[in-house]
Amino acid sequence: MKIGLEIHVQLPTKSKMFCSCPTTDAPAPNTHVCPTCLGMPGSRPVLNKEVLVCGIKLAKMLGCSIADTTWFSRKTYFYPDMCKSVQITQYDHPIGVGGVIYLNGKKPIRITRIHLEEDPGKTKRTSDMYALVDYNRSGIPLAEIVTEPDLATPAEAREFLGQLIQDIKHTLDLENSERSIRCDCNISVGKERCEIKNVTGLKNVETALTYEMVRQIKVLKAGGKIERATMNFDETRGITYGARKKEFEADYGYIDEPDLGIYHIKELADSITIKEAPAKMILRMADQYKIEQKMAKQLVSTSTDLAQFFETVAKEYGTENAVKWVAGPVTGNWKAFSARDGAKTDDILAVIGKFVKGKITDTECGIEIKSVMTGIDASAAAQSSEGLDKLINDYLDQNPGIVNDYKKSDKAANRVIGYVMKQTGGQYTSAEIVESTKKLIEARL
Amino acid sequence: MSDVQTLKDLKKLNEKYEMFNAFCEDGDLGDSKFLFSAKDNLTSSEYETCAGSKILGGYRPVFDATSIANLKQVGGKLVGKTNMDEFGFGTFSTNSAFGVPKNPFDRERSCGGSSGGSACAAAVLDDHLSIGVSTGGSICCPASFCGTYGIVPSYGRVSRYGLIDYGNSLDKIGLLSVDPAKLKEYLPVIAGKDPMDPTSCIQPELKLTGRKMTSVAVPKEAIEGISTDVKNTFLKALEDLKSMGIEVDYVDMPELKYAMPAYYVLATSEASTNLARYVGMRYGQQEGDLTQKFDDYFTSFRSQYFGDEAKRRILLGTYTRMEGFRDRYYAKALQVRMVVIDAYKKMFADHDAVLTPTMPFVSPKFSDISSMSPVESYKADFLTVPANLAGTPHLNCPCGYDGNGMPIGMQFVTDHWNEDQLVTMAMEWDKQFEVRKAEVKV
Amino acid sequence: MGHPVFNMDKEIVARVARAAHIKLSEEELEKYSKDLSDILDYFKVLDEAPDHEGAGVNPVEIADVLREDVPDQRIDSAELLKDMKTYDNYIRGPKLV
Repeated sequence: MKIGLEIHVQLPTKSKMFCSCPTTDAPAPNTHVCPTCLGMPGSRPVLNKEVLVCGIKLAKMLGCSIADTTWFSRKTYFYPDMCKSVQITQYDHPIGVGGVIYLNGKKPIRITRIHLEEDPGKTKRTSDMYALVDYNRSGIPLAEIVTEPDLATPAEAREFLGQLIQDIKHTLDLENSERSIRCDCNISVGKERCEIKNVTGLKNVETALTYEMVRQIKVLKAGGKIERATMNFDETRGITYGARKKEFEADYGYIDEPDLGIYHIKELADSITIKEAPAKMILRMADQYKIEQKMAKQLVSTSTDLAQFFETVAKEYGTENAVKWVAGPVTGNWKAFSARDGAKTDDILAVIGKFVKGKITDTECGIEIKSVMTGIDASAAAQSSEGLDKLINDYLDQNPGIVNDYKKSDKAANRVIGYVMKQTGGQYTSAEIVESTKKLIEARL
Repeated sequence: MSDVQTLKDLKKLNEKYEMFNAFCEDGDLGDSKFLFSAKDNLTSSEYETCAGSKILGGYRPVFDATSIANLKQVGGKLVGKTNMDEFGFGTFSTNSAFGVPKNPFDRERSCGGSSGGSACAAAVLDDHLSIGVSTGGSICCPASFCGTYGIVPSYGRVSRYGLIDYGNSLDKIGLLSVDPAKLKEYLPVIAGKDPMDPTSCIQPELKLTGRKMTSVAVPKEAIEGISTDVKNTFLKALEDLKSMGIEVDYVDMPELKYAMPAYYVLATSEASTNLARYVGMRYGQQEGDLTQKFDDYFTSFRSQYFGDEAKRRILLGTYTRMEGFRDRYYAKALQVRMVVIDAYKKMFADHDAVLTPTMPFVSPKFSDISSMSPVESYKADFLTVPANLAGTPHLNCPCGYDGNGMPIGMQFVTDHWNEDQLVTMAMEWDKQFEVRKAEVKV
Repeated sequence: MGHPVFNMDKEIVARVARAAHIKLSEEELEKYSKDLSDILDYFKVLDEAPDHEGAGVNPVEIADVLREDVPDQRIDSAELLKDMKTYDNYIRGPKLV
C-alpha cells in the first residue's frame, strides 16, 4: 500500500498574498476584501514579501533545494469560490523541490516539492441550494507540501502528519496562532490511486485513509478494478464517497503569471536561517551528546529553550554536568521558571559554574538552582527540598522492596511518586517529585 | 471649437461617429484645464466600463485606472469612454457590443482597432487627447486609419492598474492626438512606477531630452505585400526623412515572420485566462437562474454574452495552453518572443529605429471587412504586431493620403525605454508634414 | 519540424469549448472548427522558428517587485459589494452540485 499526502498550510502573514487585506478574523463575510481578492476587472496582484520568506523557511525545514529563481503560474478552473476562475499558484518553477523528512528520526519520507499559492474563498450551501460565497479567505497565502507515496499505513500517515505539523508550527512560530492545515490524501492498495480531497485534522486523515483502504481492498477481493478517482470525505460519518463524475474535465492549462514577473531568491534564501525542527533537534542531540533519545525528547518537548540551555551547559561544563543538572532539577523547575518574568538562564548557569569549581556541594547546587529558577529564597528552598527528600526517604525506608523492583523496571518509582503527591497535595511540582524520587532511589542501588 | 462647445456637441458628434460608449452629458467643464477621453477598457468611477463587451454591461468600477487618475490630477476632464472591439479583439472596431465607430474621413470606413473610438475622438474633437491601449497594434492601427499621431510606450512604462486585461504580457497604455506636443506633454504624466502594478516598477526614468534620430532601418519584408498607395506614400516619406538628415538603410529581418503566430498564441492564451472570470457573478451581467449547477450557469452566461470574436479567441487560447499542445504553442511562443526581441536589439546596435508603414492598406470599407476571414483580418496586423510582441515603444506618424483622401501612416520602433527619440521624431516630423483635419460637421 | 499537419477535428474543439465553459451549437462547432484549423495552419511557421534559451514571462525582465506585509484597506467593502447579488453579506452564486 502506498500513501502520499498534499498538505496545505496557511502562512502566518498579516496581509493577504497579493493584496493588503488583513488576514485576521473578519467581522462579517466579505469585509476583508478588495478589488484584487474579489478578482475585479482592472485589479492586479502584488506579491507580499513575507510569503516568500515563509516559503523559504518551510523549504529549508523540509530539506528541499531552493530555486535561485522562482515564479508563479495561472491555473484555470471554474468554481464559485475562485473569483478569477484562475488560481495564482506555482507550476514548473516552485520555490523548493526534493526534500526528505525522517519519520521518528528513522524512516525517510521524501518530499516532492513545496510551492506557494493563494487560497480560494469559502462556499456555503444553503437549503434552497444556492451557493453563498465569502471571499474573506480568498488570497490568504498557502504553502502546499507534496510528499512521495512513501507512507505505508493510515496510522503512519497520521504519525507523519503530526510530526510535520509540529515542525511547521515551530519553524513558522505558529504555536499560538490559529492557522488551518488541510490535506489531500492519495492512497493506492493496488495499482491505481484515489485522492481524498480536503481532509482536516490528524484523526480524520487516519479515518479517511482507513475507510478508503478497506474500500479498495474489498473491491479488489471481489475481483473488481480500482478506478482512478477523486473522493470526498464525510467527517460526521467517517466515510469517503466518490465525487460525481465530471462533465467538465479539469484542464488547468497552466501559463506563466505575467502580472508579477520573476523572483531571484537566492540572496533572500541565504539570509534566512531557520530554527531547528524539534524532530531533528532530538536526533541531533541524542547523537551529539551520546544521551538517550528519550532524554533528548524530554528536553526538547519540555521546551526548545531548555534543550538549548542543555547545549550551553554541555559546551561550558561538559555533557556530564548538563545531564546531571539540566536534565535533572532544571527540567523539574522549568515550568515555574518560564512563567516568571525576567528570569535568566545565565543565573542557572552561574550556579552550575559554582558547583563545577567546587564552591558548593551537590545538595547546595540543587537547592540554589531551585531558588534562582522559582524565586523562592534559598533557605525556604532548602527546607522544602529537605522536606521532600525526607518524605521520600522515610517511605523508601518503610518499603525497601521498591529499590529492588526499580532495578527491573523504573516504573517502580511510580508508587513513591503517587504516595508523595497525595501527601503533599500540590506543594511540589510533579517534575520535582519525579526528579527527587529517582535521585534518592538511585542513591540506594 | 472651445472645450465648452465641444462638450455641448458631444451627443451629436457621438450620434454621427459612435466613438463613445459612455460620455459626459452635463456639459460642465468645471475647473478642468483640458479634455481627454479614454478607451473603455480603463476603469473610471464616473462611467460604466464595459471594454466593448455585453458581459460587463452595468459594471461601475469603484476605482480609477492609474493613467486616468494621473491625467485628472493635472487638470484633465474625462469626457468619455471610447468605443472598442470587445476586450480589444479586433483590427477594425467592428467587434463592439455598443456600435461601431465611423472613420472621420469617410463614415463608410473603419476607424481601425481596437482603440478605434480613441483615434476617432482624437481626430474629430478639437485639441483632444485620448488614452488608447495596444496589445498587438491597437493604437498605431487606428491612429494610421484616422490620421493621428499615436504613441505606444515600452511595456511596463505606464501602469496597467485599472486596465481590463487582454494579454497581460503585451498590453501597453499609450496616447493618441493630432498634436504631437500633447504626447510630449502628457506621456510623462501617465508614465512612472505604480506600486499597484509590479510590471511598472522596474522602469528607468522617462527623460524627454529632444534627442533626434540619425538613422533608421527599413526591413525589406515590410514593404512586400502592401498596397501600392501605401508603398508609394511610404517611399516618398523616406525621401522626406533623408532630407531631414536621417540615414535610411534597407535591412533583412526574417524573424519578423514568426512574430504574428507567436503574438496570437501568447495573446489568446493570456486572454482566455483573463476572461475566465466573467461568469455572471460579482460584476457586469448577473441576471441568471442560480438554481442551475455552477458549470451550467457559467456556461450559459459566457455563451450568451461573449461576442463571436471573443469566443474564437477564448477557444484558440484555451487550446494553445492545453496539456499536450502547450509546448508546441504556448512554450514555443515565449521563446519566439525572445528571438524577435534579439532581432530588434541587433537592429538597434546600428540604428535608432526600425521603420515600416503602419498598416498594409488604408482603412477598408465596412462592406469589405465583413467578408474577411479571421486569418485575413489577423494578417492585416503584420506590421504592428512585432513591436507589440517585443514590448518595444513605437509611434504612428501620419505621412500621406491616398486618392480618396484616406490617411496613411508610418511606424517607428525604438529600443525598450527609448520613448525620447519617438517623441522628438513626432515633433520634428510635424514641422514639415501637414496633418489634415477631418471635416467635421455637427 | 516533425509535427504532423494538424486538423482541428470537431471533437477537440468540443473538448476545448467545454473546458472554456462555452456552449456551441452544431453550426457554431462547425464554424469555429474551420476557423481554428485555418488559424493553426497559419501558425505552422512557429514550428520552424529557432528555439531560444531564455523564455521570459514578460518582454522586459520584471524581477523582484515585492510588497511589505502591512495590512491596509483603502476601499470600503460595502462599496465593493453594492452592485453584487448578496444575502447576509454573502455573495450569491449558482448551485454547487
